[in-house]
Amino acid sequence: MAFVNDVRFAADKRAILARLRAVLPPGALLADEEELRPYECDGLTAYRALPLLVALPQTEAEVQAVLRACHDLKVPVVPRGAATGLSGGAMPHEDGVVLSLARFRKILRIDPLARTAIVQPGVRNLAVSEAAAPFGLYYAPDPSSQIACTIGGNVAENSGGVHCLKYGLTVHNVLKVRGFTVEGEAVEFGAAGLDAAGLDLLAVINGSEGLLAVITEVTVKLTPKPELAQVVLAYFDDVQKAGNAVADVIAAGIIPGGLEMMDKPATHAVEPYVKAGYDLEAEAVLLCESDGTPAEVAEEIERMKAVLEKSGATSLVVSRDEAERLRFWAGRKAAFPAVGRITPDYLCMDGTIPRKRLAEMLEAIADLSAKYGLRCANVFHAGDGNLHPLIMYDANQPGELERATAFGAEILELSVRLGGTVTGEHGVGVEKIDVMAAQFTAAEIEAFHRLKAAFDEKGLLNPGKGVPTLARCREYLQTRAGIAPSSVSSDAAPRF
Amino acid sequence: MDAVLKEWADRVRDAAERQGKLRIRGGGSKDFYGGAPAGETFDTAGFRGIVAYEPTELVVVARAGTPLAELEAALAEQGQCLPFEPPHFGYPAVLGATAGSGATVGGMVAAGLSGPRRATVGAVRDYVLGVRLIDGRGELLAFGGQVMKNVAGYDVPRLMAGSLGTLGLIAEVSLKVLPLPVAVRTLRFSIDEATALSRLNEWGGRPLPLAASVWHEGALTVRLAGARAAIEAAQAALGGEVVADDVAAAFWQSVREQTHPFFAGSEPLWRLSLASTTPPMGLGPQLIEWGGALRWLRGDQGAERMRAVAAQAGGHATLFRGSEALKAAAGAFQPLPPALLQIHRRLKAAFDPQGVFNPGRMYPDF
Amino acid sequence: MQTNLIDAIKDTAEGREADAILRTCVHCGFCTATCPTYQLLGDELDGPRGRIYLIKQMLEGQPVSEKTQLHLDRCLTCRSCETTCPSGVKYHRLLDIGRKFLNERVPRPLGQRVVRGLLQEALPRPWIFRPAVAAGQMLRPLLPQALADKVPTAAPGQSQGWPEKSAHPRRMLALAGCVQPGLAPNTNAATARLLDRLGITLFEAPEAGCCGALRFHLDAQEAALADMRRNVDAWWPHVESTQGPGVEAIVMTASGCGAHVKEYGLLLRHDPAYAAKAERISALTKDVSEILAAEAERLKPLLAAKAHPPLKLAFHSPCTLQHGQKIKGVVEELLSAAGCELAPVADPHLCCGSAGTYSILQPDLSRQLRDNKLAALSAGAPKLIVTANIGCQTHLQSGSALPVRHWVEIIEERI
Repeated sequence: MAFVNDVRFAADKRAILARLRAVLPPGALLADEEELRPYECDGLTAYRALPLLVALPQTEAEVQAVLRACHDLKVPVVPRGAATGLSGGAMPHEDGVVLSLARFRKILRIDPLARTAIVQPGVRNLAVSEAAAPFGLYYAPDPSSQIACTIGGNVAENSGGVHCLKYGLTVHNVLKVRGFTVEGEAVEFGAAGLDAAGLDLLAVINGSEGLLAVITEVTVKLTPKPELAQVVLAYFDDVQKAGNAVADVIAAGIIPGGLEMMDKPATHAVEPYVKAGYDLEAEAVLLCESDGTPAEVAEEIERMKAVLEKSGATSLVVSRDEAERLRFWAGRKAAFPAVGRITPDYLCMDGTIPRKRLAEMLEAIADLSAKYGLRCANVFHAGDGNLHPLIMYDANQPGELERATAFGAEILELSVRLGGTVTGEHGVGVEKIDVMAAQFTAAEIEAFHRLKAAFDEKGLLNPGKGVPTLARCREYLQTRAGIAPSSVSSDAAPRF
Repeated sequence: MDAVLKEWADRVRDAAERQGKLRIRGGGSKDFYGGAPAGETFDTAGFRGIVAYEPTELVVVARAGTPLAELEAALAEQGQCLPFEPPHFGYPAVLGATAGSGATVGGMVAAGLSGPRRATVGAVRDYVLGVRLIDGRGELLAFGGQVMKNVAGYDVPRLMAGSLGTLGLIAEVSLKVLPLPVAVRTLRFSIDEATALSRLNEWGGRPLPLAASVWHEGALTVRLAGARAAIEAAQAALGGEVVADDVAAAFWQSVREQTHPFFAGSEPLWRLSLASTTPPMGLGPQLIEWGGALRWLRGDQGAERMRAVAAQAGGHATLFRGSEALKAAAGAFQPLPPALLQIHRRLKAAFDPQGVFNPGRMYPDF
Repeated sequence: MQTNLIDAIKDTAEGREADAILRTCVHCGFCTATCPTYQLLGDELDGPRGRIYLIKQMLEGQPVSEKTQLHLDRCLTCRSCETTCPSGVKYHRLLDIGRKFLNERVPRPLGQRVVRGLLQEALPRPWIFRPAVAAGQMLRPLLPQALADKVPTAAPGQSQGWPEKSAHPRRMLALAGCVQPGLAPNTNAATARLLDRLGITLFEAPEAGCCGALRFHLDAQEAALADMRRNVDAWWPHVESTQGPGVEAIVMTASGCGAHVKEYGLLLRHDPAYAAKAERISALTKDVSEILAAEAERLKPLLAAKAHPPLKLAFHSPCTLQHGQKIKGVVEELLSAAGCELAPVADPHLCCGSAGTYSILQPDLSRQLRDNKLAALSAGAPKLIVTANIGCQTHLQSGSALPVRHWVEIIEERI
């Protein structure tokens, strides 16, 4: 779908090309449409834009030179990692340069004593844990795309994962970020210690979607591997019962290592790929993990089983060994792309709501699925109330994407009304830029723009993403008011 | 909008118009911290109370003026807590006093200070889920919310933690809370500083239920918290001498509230936050927390020296307590490199263009 | 993923196949994580997802040039991406189709055509190739590095020859292959001796030759189909034997050939004269590890009967075995059963850079991959490296002081 970026620049391709040629080695600059096209989107293919150029620097000096050139010529810069994001955060700007950090792929240092790893932003999330494994350590945040997504992108999106209820998001696991401002000034946010002087800019950089700075080095915390981890699969004959069981687990004072849910369409999509042995008859499955010492795990698993049984689980399966545990998780982690086996395209929503509203939300999604005539698989971080409904559509069928988008917007608006947010971990990107107006007032949107300007006065870093222009907000609210008059909060309705 | 907040917003707008300065104050328990407070006192203590608390959601929402002690009591009633153990610093100077601190929830967030358990569970900022604040234009703004994961817009709530009220007037916050640990045990080891540091870092790399540590004058005190089974196993692995529960509780309270004798007296108190593996520095009397990552130092070793040492170790030095004269000369906080200072100035201007809030509280020039 | 193929392509059998494959891709990017060239080059265009996009553009009628060709040429066809892909994208089929279309649209410069022509003609013909190896050994100093690396330093490992008399009722065919008899004649001989001990007679059909994979991946898909038909003709009398029962299996000792012969049915499905026969051939085709795993009950006592000194070795599973044929852990289990200790190998999913003629056509990338692979293989200090494909074997040997052998030779020595 054409995304109309309303933040445009008068770019001179020849001028910027000449400047970048002078500072980048051969093979580090792509300029022909044939080569640029494959960069036109990230993991969200519904939104695409052809960049002016793609730069593939390999050193900090090159990054700095690219930024300086772009800043001088007022050319937008869109940082890009592995481009696995699902909100279009790395979608290029049609007047700008894509700055790929994919060649920054070195793990610079693992310090087992300090439990830190210093890595370049293009290092894959999973590669950090693999490198730390010999020391009994790992990098805790594990987004489902962890095999491919990079640490730089994780910081930009403040990525979560399937274990963040207990172990936190990216922001909780990053000590320091080194990078460059849009003007090409080297900056460091955070410190080798647990806090830094001044304002907590590290907290702002996490989740800033590449709008504030370009990251070239990240110091992450490593966590000791628990002695043992086991996962309970709890099957339910009703999705809402599964939703309620999630609240019951937390209410029992248990903080599981991971608490995830998949519904029947999701298990059906992943089973042929992972062969995890999921019960395909069940309407929903919860994955509930315990970790710690063997005695601790044994005790907690028993408590979990008791709660889940009481909540109406039809059967419970506990992983017998590490290989089986990983297989159970593999299904959950591959769920999004595996849905590609049952549909040519999907949109993945990312609303987060209070856990106690899960059952209500699931019911609403089922109704919306009928209303829009589109199938929907539900996969989510139940413990965090973070939903990932996968709305299935066929982009080759005229009108389906539009229907899918409207379906998604209704889910997100409902998320806000239920006391939640439009995005828990995937970011706003371009995908949710309009629906931001449902969550924030004009004054709050303006505050975001001012914060952005404090880092990037000319608005050159990833323009048109993350925070909508006020004009977009107005347009969205007017359009939605016509369609679903009660669905949009247009006033400073208190969200808590 | 609450009538009180409307009134607050009007006051801020008024101050902005007449170039006035406001000194935001909850209970005044952290007045000593940072640059000297200046401006007309803006008391938040009147806007108090827990707005929403659902133990099953692990979230509590409280107004800025809510006494921290009140919030903690409400959580404890449900078997929950603020895991980062924020210091109150406002208790009457009676050892073991647990009531009557002036500390407020808004001040806790603005100061951004965390207690003994911080190294393993995270800091205040890690538990701030949402804020409602009034910016320097007198606009009431809400950021974040009541859910654990939220990446819509920039993370303003976490930015507020530790901002010392320089960016906005915090009106209400929502916080993530956790169940109280099932069991707690404190162990003590008689070892020197270097040994303690190397053990703490080595233990940190093992899956042990560590919940706090203090090394001071040849004794390493370690607290374990978690499931009973995990604590038994950890104690067996670590050894040491068990400290009686009541003695231990008083000890950790004295560290958290700085009523421990180490903190007594009028000598300057330096707070060095640095890499936990930093070797012993030999700079004078010390109390080491956070597995080695936080080192309290007493004495006047010279601000430049302290800051150079901290920077060398990848961290920063704060003149935590000291005479006004010393603070005025050295600044409370480690000076920022130019690029960061530039961003700080611009951020201050973005949130508070007229410089209404807490002038000079963090850095002299904003 | 949305597609909009031009009509002229959409209406062909290959166009429909390509469209269906493209539409299974959801552009998640997981494949880039395990793609050897993306890991080295860090450019979207050098990973599967980017190549899929390049092919999509071409099939959608966008202008295409030697730039697309470069990135498709850099693909090793190792199919690691297919193992990683949760959506089930049949990448290698899309690549085959894409390369064919590209070839029709972007002619190669003369130099490239000559090299590719020579490789196409020489490698699949043992009567050219074997003397060439001997000549190459003499001429090594004069050869370009990429070629010199390919020529074995000494005479090929001494073969003890095939069993003299083997006339069991159970019979299996073996593919001699094109380069293997010249470079590692003991591989098939050892397999024959081993199977003989298990009561199976192995024999080769002299009329059979190169499996066709070499030409298929060198822009000569028609010539490759001819190779494949020739092999079908050569094997068919033994499959549908007029004298007694046909062979139980067609045994592949080079996993590269195995992966390709297992696709005869797919590749010849539009040829009415060969479709059914090819499908049967593919069904009968087994890697030697599959045969031995099936005979494990008889093999294990033989292995247990003899005492052997402990042997630490590192196994490199060829891409055509683990990704192409999806055979995982089988060889490792057989080697363990034979008393060998397997050294741990990091990134076992990554290609060694051999990839058919890739080592000759993309020498720089190939050498980097080889060196990385050898570093991973030798990290555990093994005495020996074993693999399951002649291409990997010679390629790894060219950079390693450790001997590199076919794993079946080790098993055979231990019974």
